[in-house]
Amino acid sequence: MAYSVLILDDDRDFNSLLTDIFEQADYIVTSLEDPIEAVEVFTNTDYDLVVTDHKMPEMTGAEFMKVIKKIKPEVPVIMVSGYLENDTIRELIGEGVGGVFLKPLNIFSLLERTAELIEEAKKTQQSPQLAEDAEGDAAGSDGSLGFGFRSFPCKSQASIDFAERLYNLRNFKSTLSLIGEPGTHFRLICEDIRGFYESEKEHFIYLSAGSFDAEQVLSMLAAAKAAGAERVTCVLLEVEAMSEDQKKLAASLPKCDGLFESIETPLRTIFCVSGDLDSLFDEGLIDENLYILMGTAEVRVPALRDCPSDIAVMAQQMVVDIIREKGLGSVSRFEQSARDFFRKHTWDHNYAQLRSTVRQVMETNPGDVLTLAALTAAVQVSAAASPRARFEAHLSSTRVDYVRAASILFGGDRLKVSNFFGTDTGVVEGVLK
Amino acid sequence: MQQHRALILRSNRFLGSSLVNKGLVSSGDLEAANEKFMEAIQSPELLRNASILTTLLYDLKVLDEAKLLEHIVEEHGIGLIDLNYVELRSLRPMNVDISLCWASSTIPFDKVEDTYMVASCYYISAPVVKYWEELLDGKVVWYGASMDSINRGLERLEEIHSAEDAAAAAAEEE
Repeated sequence: MAYSVLILDDDRDFNSLLTDIFEQADYIVTSLEDPIEAVEVFTNTDYDLVVTDHKMPEMTGAEFMKVIKKIKPEVPVIMVSGYLENDTIRELIGEGVGGVFLKPLNIFSLLERTAELIEEAKKTQQSPQLAEDAEGDAAGSDGSLGFGFRSFPCKSQASIDFAERLYNLRNFKSTLSLIGEPGTHFRLICEDIRGFYESEKEHFIYLSAGSFDAEQVLSMLAAAKAAGAERVTCVLLEVEAMSEDQKKLAASLPKCDGLFESIETPLRTIFCVSGDLDSLFDEGLIDENLYILMGTAEVRVPALRDCPSDIAVMAQQMVVDIIREKGLGSVSRFEQSARDFFRKHTWDHNYAQLRSTVRQVMETNPGDVLTLAALTAAVQVSAAASPRARFEAHLSSTRVDYVRAASILFGGDRLKVSNFFGTDTGVVEGVLK
Repeated sequence: MQQHRALILRSNRFLGSSLVNKGLVSSGDLEAANEKFMEAIQSPELLRNASILTTLLYDLKVLDEAKLLEHIVEEHGIGLIDLNYVELRSLRPMNVDISLCWASSTIPFDKVEDTYMVASCYYISAPVVKYWEELLDGKVVWYGASMDSINRGLERLEEIHSAEDAAAAAAEEE
């Protein structure tokens, strides 16, 4: 269930950053810059939490909080500010603020506190009527789409249409084909499909040109079955790069023919193909069987250039991921001109290129503000090193394959998996996540 | 028919996807039709009616052809024609191979000056439209037609061509 948050900050860039952070955490966000307007909106709308800046021209955050606490005292408030005197903080706490965060923000603490406050507020408010409402929400609402979707922020019509089409096809019977351009993040998209099912008995296994053979499929299916899978969705990545034998296997998998005759677990297949399917067919890279099989339920993944409003949000999320990976405390953000650049650039290698570019920016310019100059320099480096970026993407994808396979073999025991790879459980958790 | 294999595959694939996208058949039904289609196309002699549309209409009986025609008229704004009421003439003056017509369930049934009148039950399959428009240099007025109307039209054309062949053979003998 998605909770709604009102964000009030007169600093447009910081407001935008907060909005991105909360939206990425699946909150429904209303962001406003004017406290007077915010009071009006707050009065007429139901929010689960309010995040406000302290220092604003018309009204301080403390004054704003006093006003809204008179209207709806049950709604928790979090204060963010560049600087606050200890006395002010004490005063705010006395007034009922739920949390005070100083810039630069530790977003993980902020999100953690947000979740705690909402949970506490809900418990306090819990009544039969509220319980009924909550149940209704859970059935139909998770963000503006009505369901969870993370691979695209869905701020462009193309990505919204894509997400909705995918959601409508979630109960596909046997095969689903995802056709995208090079660099498309098929794995993350398939994770979204996986997220459409609440049951833990829906298992997904991922195989690519480097790992797809009958023995591997059968062993992964057996492991999934042993782990309680009632249905398995087999995701075949890089179908166009598979050998002839692998393509024949790929065509026989959905029908459980030939080497797959022994499969008893209900099975579905998702084919992920980079490139134009007709061109691949003409080039002989996709045979007749696969070509027709892939036409049953086919979804075109939008290229990044088709979703210009999504790109900056995706990049900011990548920054957050890198910060989390490196254990940094404060969130770097792209300046407005850089955000505009994201929208205008063509991103020929799509997500993979965006990711390698953002990584490059973070390597060279990990300050609080990520500049347009750093971004354009990174794009140039990324373009020049695109084969490397592709190899990195491939290695990253393969790493996840190996860790998943090990996790299945060790019955999900993270400690055994981390011992196997000679690393700690945190790294394993991170990869599997 | 083998020379049109790629067109048959492509046009049927597009047709199937379009039918599912328009909500005219379910993906499960298309899956069943695809299986039959692949059996047909992989048989030693390529069946000339290897067609997803035939399977959906007559074998599986899951597609309402009237709805499909209605969709073509409403969405694409083209007219409908029943070839049973059209006096068909030999395709040979137009330099059109009848096997292509079978492969694409499409008939160029008339020509007015440089413009061809073409009827098809595969109009929603983009490869068919593209192929014919390239072949006829873009001068095409399209009509939607039922499968039955196209099939009977093609049978009649075959009779016309046979009669022409017989007449030519008789003339040679004389």
